[in-house]
Amino acid sequence: MADLEIKDLHVRTEEREILRGVNLEINRGEIHALMGPNGSGKSTLANTLLGHPAYEVTEGSITFKGEDITAAEPHDRAQAGLFLAFQYPVAIPGVSVANFLRMAINAKRIGEGGEPIQVKEFRTQLQHAVELLDVDRAFTSRHLNDGFSGGEKKRAEILQMAMLTPDVAILDETDSGLDIDALRTVAEGVQRLHDEQGLGALIITHYQRILHYVKPQFVHILMDGRIVLEGGVELVERLEREGYDQIRQEYGEQGELAA
Amino acid sequence: MSAGNGATPSPAGAGAPADVAAKPGRHREASLYHALHGAGAGDGRSLAELREAALAAYERLELPVWRRSGFWSTSLQSLDLDALQTSIDERAVPDVVTRTLPERPRAGRIVQSAGAVVHVELDEQLAERGVLLCSLEQAFAQHGELASKWYSKRLPLDRHKLEAANAALWTGGAFLYVPPGVVVEHPFEIVYAIDRPGIAQYGRTLALGDANSEFRVHEYDLAEDFDAVSPPARSAGDPEAPTQSLHAGAFELYLNDGARCRLAQYQDWGQGEVFDVSTRFVGVGRDAYCHWLPALLGGHLVRQHLELAVMEKGGDMAFRGVFCTQADEHLDVFAVDLHETGPSGGDVHWRGTATGESRASFEGLIQIDPGSQRTHTYLQIHTMMLSPKARIDAIPSVLVSADDVSASHGGTVGELDETAIFYMQSRGLDRAAAVRVIVEGFFEPLIAELQDEPLAELVRAQIAKKLAAAREDIEAYATSR
Repeated sequence: MADLEIKDLHVRTEEREILRGVNLEINRGEIHALMGPNGSGKSTLANTLLGHPAYEVTEGSITFKGEDITAAEPHDRAQAGLFLAFQYPVAIPGVSVANFLRMAINAKRIGEGGEPIQVKEFRTQLQHAVELLDVDRAFTSRHLNDGFSGGEKKRAEILQMAMLTPDVAILDETDSGLDIDALRTVAEGVQRLHDEQGLGALIITHYQRILHYVKPQFVHILMDGRIVLEGGVELVERLEREGYDQIRQEYGEQGELAA
Repeated sequence: MSAGNGATPSPAGAGAPADVAAKPGRHREASLYHALHGAGAGDGRSLAELREAALAAYERLELPVWRRSGFWSTSLQSLDLDALQTSIDERAVPDVVTRTLPERPRAGRIVQSAGAVVHVELDEQLAERGVLLCSLEQAFAQHGELASKWYSKRLPLDRHKLEAANAALWTGGAFLYVPPGVVVEHPFEIVYAIDRPGIAQYGRTLALGDANSEFRVHEYDLAEDFDAVSPPARSAGDPEAPTQSLHAGAFELYLNDGARCRLAQYQDWGQGEVFDVSTRFVGVGRDAYCHWLPALLGGHLVRQHLELAVMEKGGDMAFRGVFCTQADEHLDVFAVDLHETGPSGGDVHWRGTATGESRASFEGLIQIDPGSQRTHTYLQIHTMMLSPKARIDAIPSVLVSADDVSASHGGTVGELDETAIFYMQSRGLDRAAAVRVIVEGFFEPLIAELQDEPLAELVRAQIAKKLAAAREDIEAYATSR
């Protein structure tokens, strides 16, 4: 059984059905890319995996490390080892990056029946993460995402990911709105967490450029709420050549992906 | 001057005809929600004369009701005043005081329990330099001229029964005097504590900062969490034993030329049925400055008339406040930013939350008197409702009688941001923890302004405690939406 198993997932919001039977398996140490045009349901999938209350699962299941988490609370999923890097990270005024990280780490530790992290251990980890992501140490004493530039917000997401050491991370369009330097830092951060910690990642993106820095082993194309095409990194190149329209013509009307 | 109507300020207190305050309806409301004006009751009268006049008013007046039509009413009708006593036989510092006050360097401390001052201490070096910290009773006995000169200088004594009760019946009290040019690093702590039901505490503080002095004052208002349903006396077999206590306070601080004071108040009357009806006046003299932050963090029914007045040219002030009501608490704050002359500066910024079925009302008034040219002031009030049955009303108003001024107000009424909660949950914080982070962040800009870490920690801890107590309530609210 895969670490993260998504089976026949149907999801709707108040207005309409968005995901119409998604199947996906992700293991630790694997890098997956999920690509698709705007409105295909990429962000819905990301938010649903973490249990956003606005998205209702009407059919199917999400299993993580053998546990059915389809109805689990978001914080339980996070403590179990799932992580979501947000497309639009939210400002939390009044709380520094470092304090927030300590709270999150302790929430997980205490949830597992352990002790809060020692100050020294925390500092060491933070220092390591700060170097990994090439951010200024002063960055961690600023209020989380409050007044951050787009690039700073995305770096803060990856910094949190590095500190929380999830098993599987979902990166929801982390590449959007980044200049090439920030993009490279973020992508290299993901790659190193993969290499050093065995992170499994689902990189959700509209574009191909982040995939020049992080090499996915598996590529999935999402259209109209279904995965219509799967393959290796060669799919990215094909997409670059042909664009989504060509793929839509071939698979868009076909419905469910043939297994 | 004549009695007011809703549109113009009018004299309350000594100058007001006695029947105005007693009349129901429009007159009473108008006379209760406006700034104190003109001279206070003091006005050359001796303490004995003032007590006598106040006693007559006390006997004449009914328990007050404050009403803002369509918004709120604050009624003291449920207070059984006859069941309460002003105990002057206290000897010990109540546990709640030792438990609550942070261990930290201080300039001095005075503690009143019920009706008696039970502890006074003052740094020796400060005493040598002429600083005075003692009970107000002692101040009248030993420094009569100084105390009489300022006592009730701006406070009236007959706007309502409890104000009159304080002026007539106060015992103990606190007196602080900081001589010219004396700069004090650590705070003077003034503590009023109630350790049981059945107490009527008439607290009275007079504080004076002489020219170019610089100091901090921290007032603590504390009560034990006595059980209002079955207090010890009832459990012990007295079914008629009182369940309530009252603090009716009067506080005056006057800052002479160039004096600077950071005044903070930490109020937590606990879970018992404690009523607090207090009037506080801070007068800022020429080129003087006051930063004032009341943290109103607990009490069954609390009514505060808070007035920060720039009395002389060049005076400046920052008027901050936080409140956090829970369960069935009722809070009514009337905060006035008064400019009696110009140029002067003002900056009012309050933040509050409400959970449970609690009720918080805040009326903020900017009043700029005639001739107060070149006054610049701003009032903002931000509130956050954390439960469906809680209610906060915030009314800012501006009364300007000068033309070369800037005065404006703003504010927000917020609810919890679900996106922010989900964001934090996705990092492993449960909903309650996420809510706490948001609320703490909401208060933090003001708490940080205390510039005093021990007190800031205390305020943060009390807010966290109140949120933890309301945890289920907050969760039910969020999931219902």
